[in-house]
Amino acid sequence: MNQNSRRNRDFSRRQFLKYSGLGVAAVAGSSFLAACGGDDGGGGGGQQSSGGILIHGATGGGSKDTLDPHAPVTNPDIARVSNLFEPLFFWNNDYELEPALAESVESSKDGKTWTVKMRQGVTFHNGKTVTAEDAWFSIQRVADPKAPLSAGGQLSQILDSGSTKVVDETTLQLALKVPYALLDSLLAEYTLGIIPTDFDVANPVGTGAFAFKSFDPGKTSTFTKYADYWGDPAFVDELQIQDFSDDSAKVNALQAGQIQTVDNLPYNLIDTIKGAGGGVLVAETGAWVPFTMRVDSAPFSDVRVRQAMRLIVDRQQMIDQTLSGYGSLGNDLYAPFDPAYASDLPQREQDIDQAKSLLKEAGQEGLQVELFTGDDIGSVAPAAANLFVEQAKLAGVDVKVTKKTPFYDDNYLSYPFAQDFWNTRNYIPQAVVGTFPPDQGGTYNETHWDNQEHLDLVNQAAQTLDEAKRTELLHAAQEIEYNEGGYIIWGFRQQVDGYGTNVQGLEPSKYLPLGSYKFHKVSV
Amino acid sequence: MTDVATLLPDPPEEVAPPRRQHGAAAWAVWLARRLGLAVLTLWLVSVLVFLATAALGDPVRAILGRDYNSNPGRVAQLEELLNADQSIVSRYFDWLGGLLTGDLGVSLANQRPVSELISANVVNTLVLVLLSAVLMIPLAFAIAMISAHYRRKRPDTVIQTILLAMAGLPEFVIGVLLIALLATTVFKVFPAVTISSPTGHPWDNPDAMVLPTLTLVLAVAPYVSRIVRASLLEVIDSDYVELARLKGIPEKVVMRKHALLNAIVPGIQVIALQLAWLAGGVVVVETLFSYPGVGLQLVDSVRNHDVPMVQALSMIIAGVYVVVNVVADVLSILLTPRARTAISS
Repeated sequence: MNQNSRRNRDFSRRQFLKYSGLGVAAVAGSSFLAACGGDDGGGGGGQQSSGGILIHGATGGGSKDTLDPHAPVTNPDIARVSNLFEPLFFWNNDYELEPALAESVESSKDGKTWTVKMRQGVTFHNGKTVTAEDAWFSIQRVADPKAPLSAGGQLSQILDSGSTKVVDETTLQLALKVPYALLDSLLAEYTLGIIPTDFDVANPVGTGAFAFKSFDPGKTSTFTKYADYWGDPAFVDELQIQDFSDDSAKVNALQAGQIQTVDNLPYNLIDTIKGAGGGVLVAETGAWVPFTMRVDSAPFSDVRVRQAMRLIVDRQQMIDQTLSGYGSLGNDLYAPFDPAYASDLPQREQDIDQAKSLLKEAGQEGLQVELFTGDDIGSVAPAAANLFVEQAKLAGVDVKVTKKTPFYDDNYLSYPFAQDFWNTRNYIPQAVVGTFPPDQGGTYNETHWDNQEHLDLVNQAAQTLDEAKRTELLHAAQEIEYNEGGYIIWGFRQQVDGYGTNVQGLEPSKYLPLGSYKFHKVSV
Repeated sequence: MTDVATLLPDPPEEVAPPRRQHGAAAWAVWLARRLGLAVLTLWLVSVLVFLATAALGDPVRAILGRDYNSNPGRVAQLEELLNADQSIVSRYFDWLGGLLTGDLGVSLANQRPVSELISANVVNTLVLVLLSAVLMIPLAFAIAMISAHYRRKRPDTVIQTILLAMAGLPEFVIGVLLIALLATTVFKVFPAVTISSPTGHPWDNPDAMVLPTLTLVLAVAPYVSRIVRASLLEVIDSDYVELARLKGIPEKVVMRKHALLNAIVPGIQVIALQLAWLAGGVVVVETLFSYPGVGLQLVDSVRNHDVPMVQALSMIIAGVYVVVNVVADVLSILLTPRARTAISS
């Protein structure tokens, strides 16, 4: 039973904490070991020293920058939010759930009532103790049914605010309108940090390892080490997050030793950083840039054409040429980190003969299609589109690329054949936004996928607490997409970040860049 | 940049000499006319800026990207900020009224007052430009004088070759070379970028100002220097310098008092144009050194389709152009005896 296994996991974690004395010591210890043992972590082995200032060079940013804990916009925003605030649960470096400000969460048998137990002895930067009241306040702010923020889309639809109760200081009982088996994963997004009920964005108070000091949008922001942090306190005394609108300025600053870490290192500058004695941190992600075929529009309404297009793609070549090799193979399925990911389905490879015969069967020999792309999808998209043109020629398919500026205009979501970008998500939330009808949560259903069987399987899985049963349902859902879906998912991007010579403690994370921006683990 | 010499206005002839007025009154009239023209220019600029930003397309759609269709609440909120329901004429006058009363509006990107967002960047850019000017002007004149002194001899040829080569390099290339030479690859003596201190200014860490300033000086000085040299040579060949020499005045004094002072006027015009260009054109240098100035902010605002920010920054850059040119005209008149007397006589 999922419920039991969850309980067991929490129990064993709590026991572990108990046996090792103080929870803080345990966390500190484990991170120390990880820091010493991690070969792929920053700077290799050796004991981490305390003190100093860590300056992080963040990609992008501008006057759009915000300190809102629940609506970060730019890369530097995400780095800031990740250090100031903490959700009830964390996605760890392997994209698995870990308790954070919550100690545990348990579901009722019907999956409609979830009891969250808060971690005790956690304080905000202003000294106030974190209570269940604060957690409920934060969740309500994010899951406002009228204007849900980024982490609140799904939550706002299933939460039953009227029946939710703050039981006592440390217990929150969340009531749902419908059973939802993965509630804890919704509470783990970095955009759902817990804030006090008297939160003021001008003086943002959170529970993270760093406390707010100053903020200048588009330029820089500074943070000081929070000494009373519930986990292992930061090594550095101060954290500064500096915006960089230009990639070469960012890399020059790293080379000159002015900054210690950068996120999103451009592929062409990787060797420059290595040559200058810096380090490069490569992490797997679940981020993808698919080709999207509308299943309700000719010629893609014929499943044989869709399958033929999928067989045309040389996936490794896509990764080598558009991602400089920094990617992993895709199998036309998303959510590769989901425990229910259908990894047993055979890896689809380029098969031109098969593609040709499918097209012939469908009466589409010498097919001509228009592929819509645009720079605002990301630089990978136009490159992948142009490469696809070459690969399609082998099967006699004539692809014409139309570059739109902007791509995300009124025609977005109605292109018969186009591209899009998606970040790491698990299967159910991704399936809801990407493949459900728009009135049932499918806000970005580019392929106009409308498959009742698939929809029922996903909905049923979302309500199934038994993990084995749920995996079975999700496997069946993925099989449908594998055989009939409108996505061509050729690969997942790897995250490449850079760091300076004396930086230690960075570990690759599947969740966010630079070890999920957990700068308190980093020493300089 | 190459055609600036031909664009140089000739202020002494531009001004029709007012008659039957004396001294201060004549000056006041002349200045009032000059300022009136400046205001008219700015007004025309304001119309163009407003029309151009209105023609950029739907800013709401640009800001929200692919969330446009799924977030009607935010769409309504932004449209309200933009007064999208009003006619373009009434929006223009609203905006112009705000501009005149110092209310630059609210940034669409982060809902903070534009004036608050841009004031620090405006100061930063002005400091960078003025610092560069203060270093560049004496340097350019010194080089020009040395060059003119050795006219068509070897030192002059060498200097002119170097200046020509440098004038041909875009400031971007100069900056990249300086960074590689002094910050990252060869020597590591200066910071490669400006790391903003949250409360202070870029110059709180003077080291960080060196490379951006040097880049601007090297980008502009060759050009100014060549113009000043040319006008120096013209003056040196003139009758009155010849006469001064014949009178037996020492060569040093001839150069300083007779030649240089008369060559300064064209120099002022070139410098004014270069300074005005710097005020709006340092964007490349600001990007390269991550210097928090108006150029960087303008690029960011255009990318965000932050219309009020783009409008305010464009007006400020236009304002600097106009002010610098008025100042240059006034200085030119004051330094040209013939024009000076034409006005006050």
